[in-house]
Parts: sequence; C-alpha cells; structure tokens
Amino acid sequence: MWSLTSPVIVVEQMLNLMYRRMMEQTGSSAPSIGVDVGGTFTDLVWRGGTAGDIRAGKLPSTPHSPDEGVLALVDHAVPREALERAAVFVHGTTVGLNALLQGRRPVIGLVCTEGLRDVLEIGRGNRGEAFNLLWKPNPPLVPRDLRLEVRERILGDGSVRDPLRLADVAAVLERCEALGAESIAVALINAYANPEHELAVEAELRRLGYEGHVSLSHRISGEYREYERTCTTIVDAIVRGPMGSYLRRLEAGLAERGFTGEVLVTRSGGGAMTFADAQQRPVETILSGPVAGAIATAQLARRLGLPSAIAADVGGTSFDTCLITDGEVPVLYEGEILGLPLQVPWVDVRSIGAGGGSIAYLDAGGRLGVGPRSAGAQPGPACYGRGGTEPTVTDAALLLGMLPQQLASGMALDADAAERAFAPIGEALEMSTRALAEGVMRIAAASMAEAIRTITVEHGKDPREAALVAFGGAGPQFGTLLAEELDIRTIVVPPLAGNFSAWGLLNVDLAQTVSRTVLLPLDEHAIERVEGHAAELFAGMAQDGDVRQELRLDMRYVGQEHTLTIEVPWRDGAVGSDAGAIAADFERDYARAFQHVTGEPVEVLNVRALVRAVATEPPDDGPAPAPAAAALHGGTTAWSFASQQHLTFPVLERDAVAAGEWTQGPAIVVEPTATTYIDTNVRFRASDGGALILERQA
Amino acid sequence: MSDLTEIRPELVVTSGGRSSAPRDAGDRIDPVTTEILRQSLVAAAEQMKRALMRTSFSPIIHEVLDFAAALYDRDVCMLSQADSLPAFMGTMSFCVEAAVEAVGGPEALEPGDIVVYNVPYGSGSHPQDASLVMPVFVAGQLIGYSAIKAHWLDIGAKDPYCTDTVDVFQEGMVLPGVKLCVRGEMVPDVLRLILANSRVPKVVEGDINATVVGVRTGAAALARIVERHGIETFERGVQQVYEYGERLVRTWIQSLPDGRYVGHASMDSDGITDELITFETAMEIDGSTVRIDFSASPPQTAGPINCPLPATVSSARVAIAQLAGGGEAPNEGFFRPIEVITRPGTLFHALSPAPCFLYGWAAEQAMEGLFGSIAAVAPEGIPADSGGDVCALVWWGDRNRRGEAWADGAAHPIGQGAHTGGDGASALMHHSEAATRLAPVEVWEARNPWVVERLALARDSGGAGRYRGGLGVDVTFRLLEDAWLTSALEHTKRVPQGFAGGGTARANAIALELPDGTTEGFGKVTRMRVPTGAAVHLRTGGGGGYGDPSERDPEAVRDDLRKGYVSEEHVREHYPHVVLD
Repeated sequence: MWSLTSPVIVVEQMLNLMYRRMMEQTGSSAPSIGVDVGGTFTDLVWRGGTAGDIRAGKLPSTPHSPDEGVLALVDHAVPREALERAAVFVHGTTVGLNALLQGRRPVIGLVCTEGLRDVLEIGRGNRGEAFNLLWKPNPPLVPRDLRLEVRERILGDGSVRDPLRLADVAAVLERCEALGAESIAVALINAYANPEHELAVEAELRRLGYEGHVSLSHRISGEYREYERTCTTIVDAIVRGPMGSYLRRLEAGLAERGFTGEVLVTRSGGGAMTFADAQQRPVETILSGPVAGAIATAQLARRLGLPSAIAADVGGTSFDTCLITDGEVPVLYEGEILGLPLQVPWVDVRSIGAGGGSIAYLDAGGRLGVGPRSAGAQPGPACYGRGGTEPTVTDAALLLGMLPQQLASGMALDADAAERAFAPIGEALEMSTRALAEGVMRIAAASMAEAIRTITVEHGKDPREAALVAFGGAGPQFGTLLAEELDIRTIVVPPLAGNFSAWGLLNVDLAQTVSRTVLLPLDEHAIERVEGHAAELFAGMAQDGDVRQELRLDMRYVGQEHTLTIEVPWRDGAVGSDAGAIAADFERDYARAFQHVTGEPVEVLNVRALVRAVATEPPDDGPAPAPAAAALHGGTTAWSFASQQHLTFPVLERDAVAAGEWTQGPAIVVEPTATTYIDTNVRFRASDGGALILERQA
Repeated sequence: MSDLTEIRPELVVTSGGRSSAPRDAGDRIDPVTTEILRQSLVAAAEQMKRALMRTSFSPIIHEVLDFAAALYDRDVCMLSQADSLPAFMGTMSFCVEAAVEAVGGPEALEPGDIVVYNVPYGSGSHPQDASLVMPVFVAGQLIGYSAIKAHWLDIGAKDPYCTDTVDVFQEGMVLPGVKLCVRGEMVPDVLRLILANSRVPKVVEGDINATVVGVRTGAAALARIVERHGIETFERGVQQVYEYGERLVRTWIQSLPDGRYVGHASMDSDGITDELITFETAMEIDGSTVRIDFSASPPQTAGPINCPLPATVSSARVAIAQLAGGGEAPNEGFFRPIEVITRPGTLFHALSPAPCFLYGWAAEQAMEGLFGSIAAVAPEGIPADSGGDVCALVWWGDRNRRGEAWADGAAHPIGQGAHTGGDGASALMHHSEAATRLAPVEVWEARNPWVVERLALARDSGGAGRYRGGLGVDVTFRLLEDAWLTSALEHTKRVPQGFAGGGTARANAIALELPDGTTEGFGKVTRMRVPTGAAVHLRTGGGGGYGDPSERDPEAVRDDLRKGYVSEEHVREHYPHVVLD
C-alpha cells in the first residue's frame, strides 16, 4: 500500500548489511539493472559490480509513453558511470498489453481459407457470462471486410485437397491496398500440418511487389486450433508496431546515457529474450509484467529451500498469485488475455481485482462487497484527499492503524476523509467504522485467499504445506491475514518487498521456445519422428554461446482431450530414451494428475523445443549475521485481528530486524516501499539473506 | 417430493426454490462473515468444476462443458454453482433429493459414499446425463451435498443419440440411485455394470473417474468452510446468503406490473410424426412472486420431446435467474420467488414411461415464448427471439470399416435477438448451453472423417430493425467416409420473431446433399446414413430485430453492407430510407 500512497516518489537507499552480505555471496560481478513497469508504478532494482551496491527506485508509470518513466527512473536511481559499466538491462513491461487494451489498432488484412473467413468472429461460440442474456463478445480483431478468402485447402494430415489459386492472392492484395491495410496476416486452415500454402501466399505477395509486413500463422504458432492460432497471429501483428517503436526508443535512450550492455525483455512464459527477439515475436512479451514476481518468488524459494511457495503480490488494483513448486514457475501452453486465447507459453499467474484501491460497496440486495472496482491512482482512496469519496481497502487499513498517518514520503493521510467515506455503509449496516474497516480487510483477504486456494487445488496441492511470499506495495500488509485464512504457518516478506518483481529480473535466464502439433502414436517409430521435428525446431532458434536445449512432449491417451507435458532427455540431437520409458513417465505423471490410469495407447500431440542460457544463480545464504540493535520509532495504536482489540504496536525499521532471533508480534515493520503488519500471534525474524520470516502460531 | 402441494387434484404447484427447515431464529450473522461465506462457497464450486475439467477424459466435458457442478446444504438448497450448463444447474436439486431417497434417505449415507442417479423423471435429463451425489459430513453430522451432473458419451440407448424413442427403456441404461462408492471405495461391480452398457466404455470410465474427483473436491471444500466457521454460524450465514439472492430477484419482479402474460410457442414435431405441436404458457406477476403456468399444455406425446417436471422447473429457474439476477451466479434464494404450475401427464410434467430423450427442448421454447410476452412490460434486458435451439448434431461411424468406432456430438451457434441496447450477437450458443464451446475445425478434421467446407456467418439471416438481429451460421460437412447422423434440430418451422416492430429472422434448417447432387431437407432424424462424398448443410437461425427498421442509423446499415452481414437486396427491401454509396 505504500507504493500506492507514495504520490511521487523516488525511494532509494543503500541497502543494509544483510542485503550487502547476500550480494557478496552472489559472486556475480557484472552490474545489472531490472525494471518492472506496472500499471501504477515503475520499479527499478540495480545491482552494482561491487558487493552491496544495490539501489531501488520507484516512480509513477507514464502510460502515454512508458519509456519516459523508465528513463527518468534510470536517471534518478543509477549513476551514469554505473550505467556505462552495466552488462544487462532486464525489462518487464505491459506495453504490449496496453497496446491491445487502449492503443490505436493498426489496419490488418487477414488472408483466410475459402468458406472459413469468420473464424475470428465466430470464435468458439461460448458466452462469457452464463447468466447474462445480453452478453456480446468484443468486436473481432479484424473486421469482416478485411478478412479475405483465397481458394485453397489443406487437410488435417497435411495433404493438399485444393491447390492455392495464385490469382486470388492478387485480388486480396488489391483489396488490402484499397482498404489501407498496414500489414497482412495469413492464417490458413491446417497450416500447422503443412505450411506450404501460407508460404506460397507470402511469396506471391512479394512477387507482386508488396513490401509491408507479412505474418504467417504457422510461424507464430505451430499448433492446431485455428481460432486460437489466428488470434495469436493477429495479436502479434497488433502489438508489433507499438512494441517495436517502444523498444527502439528505450534502447536509444539507454545508449544515449552510455549503456552498452545487453537489453532483455521477460517472456510471458518465463525467462527473457533479447530486444531483437522481442521485436520479432512481440506476442511473447504480452504478460511479462506479472511474470517477474513469479520468477522472483521461484528464485527466493530455491535460495530458502522452500519446496512449495505461493507468490502473493498485492498492488493497487490487482492481486497476482502463483504456486511455485520445487523452485520452478508453473508454465501453461495456452493463455488468455481480454477473452482472447493465445498459443504461447504462459507462466500460470492468476489475477483478481483486489488491492489497496479496491472499493467497498453495498449491492441491490444489501450485500457488502469489496472490489473488483478500484479507485486506482486517480482519484485514489478517500484518505489521499484527491477527491476520492468512495471507501477503499487503503482507507480501511488507515482507520485500523495498519498505516501511519504520515508517510515516509511526507504525505499526510486524511483519516477523517476515510471515516466519512465509510459512514453511509456503516449506517446502512449499523456497524461501527472500526468493525466495518476490519470487515473490509477480511473480505479482501478472503477473496485473495480463494484465488490462492483455487490454484493450489488445480495443482492437487494443499496450501497449508506452502510458504506464503508476500510482496508488492500492499502484500506485506496482507501477509498475516492471508496466512490466517489459509492456515499457512510461514510467511516470507522478501528483501525490497515493494520492488521485488524488479529484483527477480536480475537473475533471469535467457530462453526461447517453439512448438509444433504432430499428432503421432507413441510407438517404436515415434522417437525417430520426434527427433526429426525437434531437430527442425531447434535449427530455427538462436544457438549462440552456452545454451541448453530442452525437449518436451505434450502427450495423452488416444481419445482424450487433455494433454500432459513431459520433459524427455535430449542430448546431441537425439532423444536419450525409448518409447517404453517415455510412456512409463507419462503414466506416472498421469496417475498423479488424474488419480487413475487407463490401458489405452498413448499419442504425442505437440513437440516443444526450448533453448535456455542460464543466468548465474546466487549461492546459498551464509551463516547468520550478528543481531543488530532494534531501531524503534516508538509505537502506534493499531487493531489486532487476532486479539480483537486495539493494542500498541512497536514500529521497527526493516533493517533493524535481527536475523536468527525470534521476536514476538505485534509489530509494524516499515521500509521505503512497503509496510509489514505483524499481529500478536505471529513471531518474526530476518533470514540470513535479508528476507523477513514470519511464523504464525496456531 | 416434499415441496409439492396439490392445489387442485389435477394440478401441481412446485416452488422454484426450496425452503430451509425451520430453525431457532438466533442472532443474525454479521454481513462480513456472510460475504466471506458466500465468496468461499462460490470458489468451492469453481474448484469442483476445475478439478473435473482437469481430470476429464472426453472433449464433452473439457471442451463442450456439458456438465453442471453445485453444492447444496442438508435441506437440498443450492449454496453455489459453477458457471457451466445452466440447463443442468436448475435440475440438480431434484437429482440430489431423488438419489438420497433411493438409497434409503440421509440416514443411509456414510462419509465417502457417492450415489449415481439418472432416472429421467427424477433428474430432468436423458439417461446420458448422470448425476453423482456425495454427502458431506463434518464431525459425523451431515451438513450438505456435493453434486455433478455430466454428459456421458454413451450409456446404451437404442442409438448413440435419439429423436424417435417411444418409451424410456429405449433411451439408455437406468441407474435408479445406487452407491458407486461406499465409504470412499469404488464398488467395482456397479462400475462394470455401467461400462458393459456403453458403446465407448473407456471414455465413460475416464469421465466417471473425473466426476468422482470433482465431487470429492467439492465435498472437501464444503467441509473445510463449515469447519472454519462452525456449523451454527455456517447454517445461519447461508440463510442470509439466500436472503440476498431472493431480495435481488423479488426487487426485479416487483418492478413489473402485476398481470398475466401469455407466451406462445411450438415444437416442430414430436420426433415420431411430423405434426407441429403448439402450446401456451403464462407468466403471472403477483407482487414479488412470479408464477409460471404450464397447465394449459398438451398431453404428453408419443415421441421423446416430453419434459419431466425437473426439466420444466429448471427452465423457469434459469430464465428468471437470467432475467432478474443482475448477471450474478445464482443460489437457492434466486429461485424462491418462483412457482411452477404443471399438470401431470402433459408435455411439461411427463410420467413414466413417456419417452423424454429431448427433455428440455420444449421448455426452452416455452421460455422464449414467455420472453416475448414479458418484453411488452419489461423491454430492457429482454432480447427478441434467438435462433431458438441448441442445434445438436451427433455423428458416429467406423473408421475405414476397421472396427475403430468414432463418435462426436456438438451444439452449434445461432443468432441472438436484438434488444433496446443494441444489435443481437451473432453466432453464440443458445442461452441454455451458455458456456458450451464449438470445437475448432482443425480438431474436428484431425479426429473425424470429414472436411468442413464452410463455417461462416449467414448473410441476411438476422431480423431487420432499429437494432439488427444477430446472424446464424452456415456449416457444411463433407464426409470422407460413411457415417451416421442424428439431428435433434428444432425451431425449423417457425421463424424467430422481432420485438417492437423489428423483423423476423431466418429459421434453422438442415439438408443432406448426396454425391449425385440431390438435396433433401430434414429436421429431427435418428441414425441417418451419410455416405462418403455426401455433404450435410446446417443453416442455423438468426435473431429477431428490435424496433422499426426505418429508425436504423443509415451508417450502421452501410457498415453492415460493407461487411457482408446484409445484401444490397436486403437493404433495399428493409431499409428503403438508406441511400447506398
């Protein structure tokens, strides 16, 4: 919530001894910079070449032109000489998503198979809201007059039923030019099985002198499902322009400031790609924002040896969560954004509309609800005094004493305004302001807890066995409430909690993936055919430097819809396993996921190739440092949820929390980008690596 | 059934929503705890749905979402449901009650038991739609039920899908409420018996297993919620959750003038003869209560279009939840302002052994007829007629005569009616199958021996109006091998109507084009042979228009023309005020 309540503000600090110690141990000497652009704030973490030289910065995002905010933050937080020496600049951004949400959409001509030009508009025919008779999908990404048919037909087995009529391509081009198309996309039926007609359309367009950009669906996604593949292709074409010019501006801006290192962007599917690759496949960056938090949590889980960790990232308007198992981020192979399916790898981060700005309300039936509507940064919570009159979660936290009335930034929060905002609901429900504020916090926490429960159930896991990693501006405030709801024992508040996502970017791997639908039986001939496909897929990817190749297969029983993705050994261009052993691996994972097995034959649906250049991982934490003296700001009166009364909470500087020794709550721990609320039934200490460890006692 | 009270010997009144057993008034639970309870219950149903989808075997569950998942309290009041198939959701309370009664009542249930039930007259579905019901216990006390009804691909009807059955015994194996699991253990004999009666036992086995995982997930989630809040707080709190829902719906009903609104509807045929069957239903608004009167309906028919009572009540529940619920996911409270009047032995209250394979179709027609009459007083929020059917086709065959059976079934999208707020949506599933998804052409062609030559919006298929009706679709399947087809297509003889001066739309149609070029239309048909090289042309209906076409914005008409949603001829006929470029 501090991130929301800091109106401006650049926070920067030389981090304390503990962070410094951690840095000494990373062994990594090349300076690097991580920048995470969020909806409200842009966060930066910079690690210098010398031990302990770490800075964090935060500035409001500049949605009209996000590079301005990024460069301003770089100017403010990173000294020029350090920038000149920096080897890597890693970036997580929502530019692609914003282009899709609000940007002017380029005019795109879409070349389709005869009889099937309405794929984009018919979609899957399902309604977004089952109980809304008037529900209507968004307008199609390409309007119907720009969806142009050519006579051709390829079948599911890749055979050509009707050859492509080249004359139709000329007609299509003429139409595209007449309608002012800025680029042309080609998405033909069954192109995943045989791309020759898509390639022939491109060649003919070029022969006819077309010089604009041409997107071919089979290059964007090698998988079947024409609506999903076409959507992915068009989204890629839509975000290409804005993403390309954004990245070029940013790269130029960094170069002007003397930066000569490598610029990377995180992928929605985890890992990072170079700016050049991101300009080639911009669709892969579309959800790179929330992914950084998941990557950071995975790194922390590995460092702390947590077998199971739940990322709980609470910002101003949204709550993002992700389940990390054995230090790995969970990857799905189809995502959805704004109701549009995308065939790209996707870290399984779930978002719900719950955060510091979420508004409390009464509905027509008299039900008290919180969110998903948010007061955002403007007008913001009522206590900001910027014209907001609706009560928010932040107002509730202030009224409960979970936030100080005077922020470190100097901004004063208006408790009277918060109280006035809650008055109408309080009167209607005959509840005191305190009871209502407590209720609003509990409802918000319960909805976040349900989102966590849903992802853990889907993975067949029990949340009680995981540690909760709470970060983002408001995450550390909700940590103990969430743990209470979920009956979780351990809560970890990572170093730089308010900027933790940017921190995660500093150690991200470089990765690249491609896939292809092959649909072949897993029999004795399968290995050879898989090797053939894999070799082609790997050949199309960058192989510079010290990279690792990984091969995965999506498999299922014949007749089944779902697939399981299994990694198979891949060395020197060969599968290091046979069909029997792969089938056995599949059955083992199947039994775990589906809780039963069948004796049916197995088939391979998709082949997935991944290359990865691994970043240096910081080594394990060293021995505990000596306890430091507590730097107390005195106490503040706050509501204890556990004891159900107002108590005096000691207020501590984060740096002053000792490693090793437990301290019993209550306490409020402050740092520039976040506030950690610790109730009476929780004890806390710092880990050797600088994380704050909270332990809830039943 | 406990909720039935006879008002006249021949009429039955069923409360749309069940009442809770009387309890001590006690203190009211605070609104915060109530909201947390409500959220947890909605999330628990969603977790059930995801567990089922994650572990399902067939595309019927994962892709088509042909199931409903819901949680009930011990009075069989619906605590929450997950968005999936609304038409199933409204029948589930009947399934729970009948399944429990069949095995000897609540006293005969033990923790870990799961009962399987599919008697059409008690479940409101055909036997393929089987329910699994699991009691939920906390501290040895029965506190509720976790239930899923899912479509099994085949359970041994006379054909994989039927439109011409003459009694229920031709419609599939009947499971009259038997324990599939006892104290947590699957009963192998029951499972073997079921699988021996299916044409696709492996698929059905996979989906039964997934459904077991689903109801267990729901039961565990419900038990956890009750344990967290305590039984007392839970039971009081959910009463308040129901109250909120009830108030929401009553507020809407009260906003309508009292009166009796009559809707007219029809079925193309009963599946045996080709005669049109017309019927009249009425909606009575009485203060904050809505009474839906099916008592004037014709006697039950010889063919399988009969609605068992639960299907009739379900259609009323779903319609009112959609009209009055503000888009929110319903609970039992939403149904309490509803009363349903039926006459046993008629189309909407069929008695054994009347055939009822197409159990819900007539009730859907009745509801759309009622929308038409109620729109006169509540124009906002009610669309003109849609294409009016789920347009179900079921295919099967033998791959290259090698003995490899294949089967596939699908609903198809239709045009939606225009309304006061704008044009109707094109190509959406009928509202009773809201979450159902059309399979991708590429998935179809990888599985089935056909080529989809056309899947396109049908020009001029929507009704004209100030707001235009949505378009239906044209689909052409060209068969590469011999196959069999059952078509349950309805609403082919009456065109969808517009509202407030809006025009009519095209009706559903289907035709077989033989390799020699001869073409013949049909409607409902069972086990029709489609030879290699033949094509089946499905043309789904459009939505009716809203308002006088002369009031349509000329620019909107020109845009429709540019995009090919309408033809020049259509524009000249219906929008003479528009000057074309």
